[in-house]
Amino acid sequence: MDCAPGMLYDSRGNGPCDAPSRGAAAPERSFPDMAEYAHPEVLVGTEWVAEHAHDPNVRIVESNEDRALYTQGHVAGAVEIDWQVDLQDQVRRDYVDRAGFERLCRANGISNDTTVVFYGDKNNWWACYAFWVFKLYGHKDCRIMNGGRKKWQLEGRPWSTDRVHPPAGHYTAPEQDGSVRALRDEVLKHQRAGRPLVDVRSPEEYCGDRLHMPDYPNEGALRGGHIPGAVNIPWPLSVNEDGTFKSVKELEKLYVKGKGLKRRSPTIAYCRIGERSSLTWFVLTYLLGFARVKNYDGSWMEWGNCVGVPVVKGSTPDGSPAPAP
Amino acid sequence: MTPSTVAERIDAIVEEFSDLEGREKLELLLEYAARLPALPEAIAASRTADEHRVHECQTPVYLWPEVRGDAARLHAEVAEEAPTVKGFVAILAEAVADRPVDEALAIGDDLVDRTGLSGVLGILRARGLRAIVGHTKRGLLEARDADRRGPG
Repeated sequence: MDCAPGMLYDSRGNGPCDAPSRGAAAPERSFPDMAEYAHPEVLVGTEWVAEHAHDPNVRIVESNEDRALYTQGHVAGAVEIDWQVDLQDQVRRDYVDRAGFERLCRANGISNDTTVVFYGDKNNWWACYAFWVFKLYGHKDCRIMNGGRKKWQLEGRPWSTDRVHPPAGHYTAPEQDGSVRALRDEVLKHQRAGRPLVDVRSPEEYCGDRLHMPDYPNEGALRGGHIPGAVNIPWPLSVNEDGTFKSVKELEKLYVKGKGLKRRSPTIAYCRIGERSSLTWFVLTYLLGFARVKNYDGSWMEWGNCVGVPVVKGSTPDGSPAPAP
Repeated sequence: MTPSTVAERIDAIVEEFSDLEGREKLELLLEYAARLPALPEAIAASRTADEHRVHECQTPVYLWPEVRGDAARLHAEVAEEAPTVKGFVAILAEAVADRPVDEALAIGDDLVDRTGLSGVLGILRARGLRAIVGHTKRGLLEARDADRRGPG
């Protein structure tokens, strides 16, 4: 296994180096440049998906911002797992519990050893979010279709409106894996210890000029700004025009050289509700080989409403006046 | 019988949705989306970049609520990548078309719940659609007042 030096495993062996084993064969060839990533096995190309959509060891999963897109047309054989209705608990602000996750997998024809390939609209935000929730429950072989719906569409590949009824899967999930998720108290401790945080929202949200990203609704944060110490690396910088991820060189320039993040330092990413930051979590963990990245899914919708937590405004991590250009 | 008032049209639409399961509700919504008329040329020609944009909305949505001689109309443009919003806007447009504006102003904010779409779409998306109802009614109210004041 081609691991970055110093790569760590979590206690369950669910670390990024825990290679896909019993599912489909590792993708090769379709994206020669993808081989440069720290964990190229988690990315597949559109062609690979077209070839494996009906492979019984593979389940293709679409996750979108707009649910009707799947109904309008999806990759033949793909099931839909929705981030709001399927992955989130409808009463508590949390994800479905372990039993709920097991039911969801079984109903969608996913077993513990199934290769699950996620794709979706909006440059795979929600695909990464679903991928992250699957990792939260320790699913071994998760992959992303590089480029998502956008690339599939750009290549003129067919959309299907067939209803997909996969045979029931057999699934037993462990309890949630705390190594990929940061809760509020941990974020506060992390911040106090001066450890790295990445705020992936737009610069306007980071500075506190606005409470939601351009074109999106304010979903109810009372304070604007960012967590002191967090660097701002807006998530869209990680993707190309066609929805695919940028090259490892470009990503390194952005995250490591540009903002000084370190592969071995425990790092927490956050955004507004944890969706954009799950894409960044994916990029840092799998494409750049960061060892210990957590997604803070409570994100600004929690932090911006918390009583007593530190918040700073402005364009610098500590809120000090920006140096003159 | 063709439903005539806005309330009757809304009731008919709610009825149409009520018997359907989740996926079918989305299919019906897509049928509405496909029926949303293109923007009238006069509006398309005179539009400015960000005016008429619904800023609460998750995707580019532009609404032109219009009142002429007390009759309401809703013109709209919604990005293809947002068929859910497009379908919902099309429902509103069909419901209010050429009816007295006061009937349109009585549309309940709970339309998304009555159709059962809130269960299919989830809390955040349903909130976005409720905001569109509110936005449309505010626009119609302004247009009504301007219409009643008359030219000049």
